[in-house]
Amino acid sequence: MDVIWQGLKEGFLLIVAMDPELVHITLLSIQVSVSALLLAAIMGIPLGTVLALKEFPGRKTLLNITYTFMGLPPVLAGLLVFLFLSTSGPFGYFQLMFTPTAMIIAQVLLGFPIVCGLTARAVMAQPQEVFDTAATLGATRRQASWAIIRESRMGIIAALTTALGRLIAEVGAVMMVGGNIKGETRVLTTSIVLETRMGNDSSALAIGMVLLLIAFLIMLLILSLEKRTFTDERRIQIV
Amino acid sequence: MNAEFKLFNISKSYGQREVLNIDNLEIGGGRIYCILGPNGAGKTTLFRIMSLLTLNDTGKMHILGEEVTWQKSQVVRLRRQMAMVTQTSFMFEGSVYYNVAYGLRVRKTAAAEEKRIVNESLELLGMMDFINQQARNLSGGERQKVAIARALAVKPRVLFLDEPTSNIDPASALDIEHYIQYINKEMGTTIIMVTHNLFQARRLSEEIFFMWEGRIIEKGETQKLFDNAQDKRTRSFIKGEIVF
Ligand SMILES: Nc1ncnc2c1ncn2[C@@H]1O[C@H](COP(=O)(O)OP(=O)(O)OP(=O)(O)O)[C@@H](O)[C@H]1O
Ligand SMILES: [Mg+2]
Repeated sequence: MDVIWQGLKEGFLLIVAMDPELVHITLLSIQVSVSALLLAAIMGIPLGTVLALKEFPGRKTLLNITYTFMGLPPVLAGLLVFLFLSTSGPFGYFQLMFTPTAMIIAQVLLGFPIVCGLTARAVMAQPQEVFDTAATLGATRRQASWAIIRESRMGIIAALTTALGRLIAEVGAVMMVGGNIKGETRVLTTSIVLETRMGNDSSALAIGMVLLLIAFLIMLLILSLEKRTFTDERRIQIV
Repeated sequence: MNAEFKLFNISKSYGQREVLNIDNLEIGGGRIYCILGPNGAGKTTLFRIMSLLTLNDTGKMHILGEEVTWQKSQVVRLRRQMAMVTQTSFMFEGSVYYNVAYGLRVRKTAAAEEKRIVNESLELLGMMDFINQQARNLSGGERQKVAIARALAVKPRVLFLDEPTSNIDPASALDIEHYIQYINKEMGTTIIMVTHNLFQARRLSEEIFFMWEGRIIEKGETQKLFDNAQDKRTRSFIKGEIVF
């Protein structure tokens, strides 16, 4: 119990003191995970929509592969990126190993299937009437597809929050391709691992608190995006 | 004169079941037409094919002077001259205004014009008070009225109405009937409607098509068909002998 108390206290002090190292680590965490999320969204939302709406051979297989990759273990994502980026790998020339860029690439690999798969599910959950209504009002196929995406936005935002939750909290991939180098690739999760290994349990816990706080703030930001589009939030009433 | 719709041998099956089989159907245009028939007769399916929402399995169609090739640009061009109030009056997530403006936005109508037309359409259906409400929170009848306003906003040449007053109270239904007559007479809009209300069919339509198990088994001028139906099934349907 003492450790927990100590950790909470330390965490509070760390946050209040704005310890420069912690600030740096926190900013890098946000930078890596949010960049990865944005890239995953830029590719995942359109691709998920295409998988949901367009009929083409291999569509089911691609969907199943996407769903499978939603469970990709972070260390495996790290390993894959490592194999491609290490000096002997095909992209070794760019010397990206142990840089934030490598960490972002590994996290895109983790986030993309989640955004793509959950977007596809959200779009497929829409009733036929969305298309019918848009089409009978004169929408082109592209305009009608937009209408369907618009109707799916709650599900798409859920996809983004789910992906972000996974990215900001994962340690396997960033550790493997980032290397937890102090001042360069150290992020919140890898610091927690390090502090725990060194026996500084309360410090580890303190950093964990910061991580949760950041996660909370980013989720709030994404959810506020949703609020802006939903002037009047509708939910099922259970009485 | 060229008919607005000409259908030859149009059929549609779901799995093994044939739900539509039309040998020959011509709808001249300019009038109010009613399609009658029991549940599952294929009325909505016929609407969906005529409004190019569902592909027919066999046959040929001429719509608004063009032979339907299902070429993308043709589909949009033809659809933009038609509008439909579907049986479910589906509403997009968003305000009543957004819903009624949708058809104008996809046509890139200027903002001021859009606003004017939306107001005018809602005004006609007596729905102005609801303009900023969430469309999905409306009652069934209110939704139908908004769906009608939404379809009218695009000023279609042909308007399909799939049971447009099924959830509407008798007084409002009469108002809507008058309005349907008004846009038919004053704006020359061809109205093709499905209704289960035989009185309504009689009051509104000039021509009737009677459907049974995917086929049109009788057609003709409304008065004649009501007074002197040829087919036994039509006669008993009109007399209300068939209970569903
Ligand atoms: N997408 C579909 N898949 C399978 N069967 C369908 C589909 N759409 C329609 N059907 C079937 O086709 C038949 C005709 O349906 P349709 O909706 O055209 O009937 P309707 O005449 O409009 O009936 P109602 O008066 O109940 O609206 C029905 O038996 C229905 O079950
Ligand atoms: Mg129907």
